Amino acid sequence: MKIGVFICHCGSNIAGTVDVAKVAEEVGKLPDVAYSTDTMYACSEPGQEGIIQAIKDHNLDGVVVASCTPRMHEPTFRRTVERAGLNRYMFEMANIREHVSWIGKDKESNTQKAVDLASIAVAKLTQDRPLIAKKFGVNKRVMVIGGGVAGIQAALDCADGGLEVVLVEKTATIGGKMAKLDKTFPTVDCSSCILGPKMVDVAQHPNITLYANAEVDSVKGYVGNFEVAVKKKATYVDWTACTGCGLCTEKCPSKKATDYFNEKIATTTAISIAFPQAIPKKASIDPEYCIKITKDKCGVCEKLCPTKAIRYDMQDETVIEPVGAIIAATGYDLFDYTRYGEYGGGRYPDVITSLQYERILSASGPMAGHIKRPSDGKEPKNVVFVQCVGSRDKSVDRPYCSGFCCMYTAKQAIQTKDHLPDSQTYVFYMDIRAPGKMYDEFTRRAMEEYGARYIRGRVAMIYPKGDKYIVRGADTLAGTQVEVEADLVVLAVGAEAAKGASNLAEKLRISYDKYGFYMESHVKLRPVETNTAGVFLAGSCQGPKDIPSSVAQGSAAASKVLGLFSKDELESDPQVASVDIKRCVGCGKCIETCPFGAIEETDFRGEPKANVIETVCQGCGVCTSTCPQGAIQLQHFTDNQILAEVNALCQQPLVTSFE
Amino acid sequence: MELLDQLKEKIKERLPELDVVIGWEQGFDPLHATPLFMRTEEDVDRLVFSPLCVHNLASHLTGLKGKKVGIVVKGCDSRSVVELLQEKLLVREDVTVFGLPCTGVVSLKKIKHALGGLDKVASAEFNGNELKVSAAGAARVLPLNEIAADKCGRCQYHNALLSDVFVGAPVEAAAEDNYADVEAFQAKSPQEQAAYWRDAMQRCLRCYACRNACPMCVCRDHCVAQSREPHWMTQQDTVQEKWFFQMIHALHLAGRCTECGECERACPVGIPLLLLKRKINKEIKELFDYQAGTKIDATPPLLSFKVEEENINERGW
Repeated sequence: MKIGVFICHCGSNIAGTVDVAKVAEEVGKLPDVAYSTDTMYACSEPGQEGIIQAIKDHNLDGVVVASCTPRMHEPTFRRTVERAGLNRYMFEMANIREHVSWIGKDKESNTQKAVDLASIAVAKLTQDRPLIAKKFGVNKRVMVIGGGVAGIQAALDCADGGLEVVLVEKTATIGGKMAKLDKTFPTVDCSSCILGPKMVDVAQHPNITLYANAEVDSVKGYVGNFEVAVKKKATYVDWTACTGCGLCTEKCPSKKATDYFNEKIATTTAISIAFPQAIPKKASIDPEYCIKITKDKCGVCEKLCPTKAIRYDMQDETVIEPVGAIIAATGYDLFDYTRYGEYGGGRYPDVITSLQYERILSASGPMAGHIKRPSDGKEPKNVVFVQCVGSRDKSVDRPYCSGFCCMYTAKQAIQTKDHLPDSQTYVFYMDIRAPGKMYDEFTRRAMEEYGARYIRGRVAMIYPKGDKYIVRGADTLAGTQVEVEADLVVLAVGAEAAKGASNLAEKLRISYDKYGFYMESHVKLRPVETNTAGVFLAGSCQGPKDIPSSVAQGSAAASKVLGLFSKDELESDPQVASVDIKRCVGCGKCIETCPFGAIEETDFRGEPKANVIETVCQGCGVCTSTCPQGAIQLQHFTDNQILAEVNALCQQPLVTSFE
Repeated sequence: MELLDQLKEKIKERLPELDVVIGWEQGFDPLHATPLFMRTEEDVDRLVFSPLCVHNLASHLTGLKGKKVGIVVKGCDSRSVVELLQEKLLVREDVTVFGLPCTGVVSLKKIKHALGGLDKVASAEFNGNELKVSAAGAARVLPLNEIAADKCGRCQYHNALLSDVFVGAPVEAAAEDNYADVEAFQAKSPQEQAAYWRDAMQRCLRCYACRNACPMCVCRDHCVAQSREPHWMTQQDTVQEKWFFQMIHALHLAGRCTECGECERACPVGIPLLLLKRKINKEIKELFDYQAGTKIDATPPLLSFKVEEENINERGW
């Protein structure tokens, strides 16, 4: 085999602490190396031309480039060798920058390590085989999971781009958390006024199919060809007949049903429509509270309904949707503040969450926009906001900053003053994080124009005194302890991963971090992609985000889907598992361990054998380490290829001893 | 002899629908039993069962794939059958299990040690908990607990865990296995442990008797020890390579080894191979609360995929 080796200087990045000429010389002595040189910037135009020229001049079979991380330039050099007529997998990369020159200063040992790494790459290349990608068709439909603002934006952008979109929403209406907000920062414009039109667009768009009150049951298939089972949960109302007139909700005698939309500060009727702008504007029954369903009495709604839409015997129904890509936009949930015993652990009626406060502020909320204490309905005078409840606190395993609480607290302080000019607001904060456009100006306005008193320090405890509450905390700037008498305490609860997010991640075969937020493919450069091809992320499911960022990510995910679907056929990565049918005993261990469902059992002349579905296989290698026979091998990372690398490293003295 | 007669009767009942039934018969001398492959009723009459029936006959099962096979198993042997079934290396319908209760088998190595040799054994007879042997003209009485295999002293599963036909009265007793032998070995310093194994592996002949006797070693012609593709190991006769082979053997049995001890029994140079495997099984038990071949519908932990394991704190580093 004739191998060409190129040792990159990377300017002074590598050459500064590695003797690249010596590396080229040493590696050049290896038996299979026909050409070895050092080059200033291998990735530059002349650098790549040099590689192509060398392949032609020396009739090379493969190329090793020792330079930076393969995550950076492996695709570049693969294209380079392809341009010179070689198979793109007849290329190996040794990382002598991140793994050598940047981490050590001793030039002699750096040089030796660079020689070792390049020799390993040469050994691997001697075992490499040309691999050819296969092509497969794409189903140009996309599923968006989650109908919050990120999901809505992604769905609309995809639909406008001409794709058929299936939007799946867990609750009975789309709109997500944003629909619950009264106003939005930093412009203090009405949340439902800006979200409402988008929700209507979703309902009216000819390319969008909306499944509200539905959940993803299972996901099969692979990029371009997923099959998603969507469970439509029973609403006990035939939505094709329901006109959303609301007559049933007015007359329903069961009025104690949990009002999830109003964050449980009020109750609702057993049959209800979440809010006036709900999309779809259809009634649904909470079976826990429906007198007809629980006790087989009543039946008022059925009698009243002008379109006869009520179905007490409705069952869950599963539909299979074939799609080519999936956007996960499942959002977040609020931190459960009752874990903080010092804030009352949920026992004090006038210690509420910020989202409950939004519902109090909202004109369409249960208090019709008049700020009143939940306990006695009195107007509060002193309102205390406590920030970082379940954010930046290791003691409750939430060390991260939720990002948007500083801003909405400032907004709520401003709104409080607008609603109740005689009121006084206090904000306990740790730091003010306002790094967006117009954000810091906004928080300054809350302090300077609206007189919100910002106290830098954490709250130690909240306890009732008469019909008021004492909020005791530190003022770290004054170095004193402070006590504030409060009529109402609003806890700026942080964001955490949506409940069930990890279950969905497992169905989608994407990874999630310690806190349940979905992992993007690259923190900086691939923020909406996941490591599973064809699955994209939008909004807070990837990490807490405010509205502008969620919308931006929704659009970004849509553009990724549109980009993916711009081709009629996709190429599968040939670095996948492959079965040696002679060795396979058909035990199926690989089938059971495969996290991606990429291996199936086939019948080969009457004997069971494993078969890899190449398009589903992600090349993780779990099967190859499970198969005791070594019958299943990961292409481009076969046992022999890896053993060659190990041998190159471990048996080097042997080579020198024969000199 | 009641148990044996019952067993013979049951085997004869099932024999017409089976290609072969595997049991034990008297071997070349009174102390040795040997596997018996029964195809006719006359074959069945040669069947024996006593503490001398040391072999785990499950080792023969995968080689008889495609045939209707009956097999006589003790408690420990049945674990191997269960594990093989779980791994889909056997077809349940093709296997008929004749289960037995067992109070323990002997260790021929211990008898050899007690007698000073195994030559010229004229007779061997079990009498309650004693073995009466006459060898080289002298008669000896050996208490069974002194010559029983180590595995029998810690046996938790005296009765076949899986059987289509169970013969005899189940044994009630069950010992506890707290891996005391592994703990004791681990109490040694790492240097001592390394020296111990280096010495043991020095003796290894790479005869592969351990592998061939192992009921769970099913790769046959494709064993990595001899394979050139992938070329994991050389054929060099070094301690390093021998040790490497034994470690591969042990690791390929992680979560699968049923601790029948056939590897150790088969080893002609007395390497305590079961200790290696028990060390790994101990870890498996602690990590996954799993013992190979004990629960019929369990999934072996290393043969399934979980995003997060209950007892492994992968994110706590």
